[in-house]
Amino acid sequence: MKNDVKLGIFLCECGGKIGGRMNLADLQEQLGREPGVHHCSIHSYLCLSPGLAEMTRLAQDHGLNRVLLGACSDRIMKKKFANEFKDLSIMPPQVDLVNLKDHLAAVHDDDPSELTRKAMALLAGGAASLGKLEPYAPVLADFQGPALIMGGGISGFAAARELARRGMESLIFSDAQSPGEVLAGLPRTYPGNRLYFRDLEAMLQEVFSNPLVKIAPDQPVEFVVGHVGDYHVGLQQNHGGVSETTGAAIILALDREYAGEKAWTIGGVGRVIDQLELEERLAQKRMKPGRVVFWVNHREEGRRAQELSAAAAWRNSQVLVQEYAEMRPTVLYPADIRLPVSGSDLVEARRRGITLSPYSPDIHPVVRSGYLAYVSPQDHLEHEAGWDTLVVSAIPGEPMAKAQELMRCLPIFSNNGHSLQKGPMALKPDQKPVESLILTGSAMKLCDLDEALQEGKSAAREVLHLREKARKGSLASPLVVVSVDQDLCEGCGLCNEICTCGGVESVAPGKGPVPRHVSPHTCDGGGSCAAACPYEAMKLLNNSSQQLEARIRAILSRMPENGVLGFVCSWGGQGAAELAAVKGLSYSSRMHLIPVNCLGSIDPAIFSMAFLNGVQGILLAGCPPIGVCHYGYGVDHTWHRVYLMKKLLAMCGLERHRIALGYVDVNQPEAFVNMVDSFLDNLDLMAPLEPSEDRKNKLLAAHATMHRPRVRWVLGVSLRRPSEKDFPGDQYNAVDFDETTQDVLREEFLAARIIGALTDGSRNPLDIAQALGEHTAEITPVINELMHDNRIIRQRWEKGYPIYGLAKAG
Amino acid sequence: MSAKQAKDIKEDKKARDNGLISFKINGRVVQGREGWTILETARQYGFNIPTLCFHPAVKAIGSCRLCVVEVCQNQQARVVASCVTPVQAGVEVLTDSEEVRNVRRWVLEMLLANCPASRQIRELAKEHGVTSTRFKVEHPEDACVRCGLCVRACDQVVGVRAISLGNRGIYKEVTAPYHQRSTDCIRCGTCLYVCPTGAMEQLFAQVSAA
Repeated sequence: MKNDVKLGIFLCECGGKIGGRMNLADLQEQLGREPGVHHCSIHSYLCLSPGLAEMTRLAQDHGLNRVLLGACSDRIMKKKFANEFKDLSIMPPQVDLVNLKDHLAAVHDDDPSELTRKAMALLAGGAASLGKLEPYAPVLADFQGPALIMGGGISGFAAARELARRGMESLIFSDAQSPGEVLAGLPRTYPGNRLYFRDLEAMLQEVFSNPLVKIAPDQPVEFVVGHVGDYHVGLQQNHGGVSETTGAAIILALDREYAGEKAWTIGGVGRVIDQLELEERLAQKRMKPGRVVFWVNHREEGRRAQELSAAAAWRNSQVLVQEYAEMRPTVLYPADIRLPVSGSDLVEARRRGITLSPYSPDIHPVVRSGYLAYVSPQDHLEHEAGWDTLVVSAIPGEPMAKAQELMRCLPIFSNNGHSLQKGPMALKPDQKPVESLILTGSAMKLCDLDEALQEGKSAAREVLHLREKARKGSLASPLVVVSVDQDLCEGCGLCNEICTCGGVESVAPGKGPVPRHVSPHTCDGGGSCAAACPYEAMKLLNNSSQQLEARIRAILSRMPENGVLGFVCSWGGQGAAELAAVKGLSYSSRMHLIPVNCLGSIDPAIFSMAFLNGVQGILLAGCPPIGVCHYGYGVDHTWHRVYLMKKLLAMCGLERHRIALGYVDVNQPEAFVNMVDSFLDNLDLMAPLEPSEDRKNKLLAAHATMHRPRVRWVLGVSLRRPSEKDFPGDQYNAVDFDETTQDVLREEFLAARIIGALTDGSRNPLDIAQALGEHTAEITPVINELMHDNRIIRQRWEKGYPIYGLAKAG
Repeated sequence: MSAKQAKDIKEDKKARDNGLISFKINGRVVQGREGWTILETARQYGFNIPTLCFHPAVKAIGSCRLCVVEVCQNQQARVVASCVTPVQAGVEVLTDSEEVRNVRRWVLEMLLANCPASRQIRELAKEHGVTSTRFKVEHPEDACVRCGLCVRACDQVVGVRAISLGNRGIYKEVTAPYHQRSTDCIRCGTCLYVCPTGAMEQLFAQVSAA
């Protein structure tokens, strides 16, 4: 693969903005000498039609398959450039931009020779990264089988009808097995819709009799795996087994059930009832004669709940006058809600003798036996409504119990325990996986029956849209996704625990050490799971750690002695850094920015590798961690990785604050420049790192320690899980945990140094201790441990001392 | 016919044979291709034309009129926005004629009155010798030129359409739908980066997702 790389580099003068600040001809000559560079040229404006035409012609003539542009921001211009190369079968990941304008020319005051040096370093980094790229083409999804409609909500039936009308199969899991059973259960979730039962029955009849719709009895969910076009749902069966069903998409129709307990606190049992009780009486036709007053109360449930309650009261009054000719119901509603009735409804109400009167919400009505006293907002006078039956509002409850079951298997979570949501994915459309899990019903947001049915219909449309996309062959996974090497995966499940997008799942359903894999159609490419994997079995395709490592090595080899690396997240640090350029701010050219999509995707071993290769300091600028991180907990996770690196730096005899994590909002360029200045000032207080053999050995050991599964596991324990609402720094046993980590690290670090000392040849314990500058008593237990793990062997005895050497297989 | 004219005609024919479109910018013969604009061709040949609402990442709409040039053909001249005018064979384009400079100064003077709070506009105006405006400044705190570059970038570069231009005419403004903070916004900062006047820095907090 590597031999096929044909890299071309195009440098943009940007009308003098870049060309006038550095020596591009010199750059062109240096880059032309780099191995693997097939072509390098300078253009006045790469982004305008003449430049684009010239560039694509050259790319075609030279048969390039990797393109590096020394130009401007990849956040803004990458899409346009990548589109130009699509016709030449050069896919977007094969095109990379180094921002010579905003990361260099516009922000440094240095002379052209220094800017040329830095540009060379960054471009060489880009070239090295492209050289290591193993292009991965997005996977197209099949779209076979029915839509699976789970949750049992009424909106699911609306979805099924729409799907059936458009010729798509669906499978509904529902407790209700006939239209009558569905309608019988409906008042619990959407009270006050009896008026529409005839229409609803027609709809349900259509659904139940349609051959494209299958209705299966609902069973406890054991697992849900798969992705768009190919879902597998395991349901527990009565006899104990698990049956598997497959489908192309999942519609979750989840409603919330109303509760009525609070009505009883008023007293007047049998005469004061709530809307649910009223529904039952209407169903059983046992309404007592007399005056009925609907009182829309429960202000604490919110305006929306009161509006729904008022609508239910209005519709049920119509049912009452229809079925009991002598009834003249009254609806008392708070004056500050929007009464969901039209002008013609009001005419209808007058004609039928239904009174709709508002009460002033400022003064709480008072219930008396047979009377409800309230203040009218019209005349500000106290009035009384006489009742024989007082109907109060029902209280919207929690999402149905089924939701809890589904939350275990699907990436949905409960917002304050009150409404259900999908994980937020504030990403660019081409980074986002196709959304094929569609949520409908009142469990997401309190809504009326017609809204729920409309949601169901829209959900069906979305599914049909996906089917259409699949037919056109454009249902593709995102460009950057995680993949698991099944040979390396030990099935520890750490990735599963910290995954926020739901892409990681077990190869086969089950518990215990089952290997994991990542569904490319669900993964958002955040990559914190890959950076956390103890066995390094995971890889970010099209954006791998190997690429990043190559980039950093190339940059470090061209860095001045006091140079530093700055990892910037494209959502925070990078945005702020580029805005600093737009605003004409400046900072030191010692800072070499490396844009990454999310800081969380940086493997901790990258840090140790950079220090091993002589970097003086590393700054990480992410986005504000609370609420804004686009991949859930990227900055959070990085925080813990940086701490671990700090500990290792201390063990190597270096200052802990040579690595620092910061965060900056995209609209805070001044804060970014401030951060860089402050970091460099702190760094200048430390003595520069002179090359020394002892330090190099220690850093080698530190790097080896970062690769140890045990260390990575301990680190993994501290990473925040999506199930954890917030991650306070003073969590349970924080100090003890940190000390345990420190012990593990010390042990592994010493082990790595012992192995390092044995690389040059076999030695006895005294020699090893002397070479490391440690006491023999300190290293003996570690040596025994290493022997036990077969990482070193006792080769022979000499002069009464054992001679240890490296085990052959390493 | 002078020797120079004869040479020009010869070059023109040769270029046309190669699918090139020949015309003149400030007296120099330049060659464009079908689909190129006057602005693009001029920049390729090193002629400087100031722009505000133009950004290579999005489609040009010619809203700020700062990129005006004079296009002369058959003894007639018209002033056009070069970012949206395609190249045309045989015309003479003037990027810095008295007429063009005059129009540009007027545009800048109006911009100074329209968005006086923008540092970038003030600097640009000064470069063209405009330091004050004869128009009434109604909103001294305003920095936005309503060119809609942020709106186009949000749509064409990012693909989310989180912000839009609300109202029309003199009431036009950059806003998220219903004057609410946009729920579609992903806070990528593209609008901040492309904004030519720095107005987005203030607007961002009003339109971006919380």
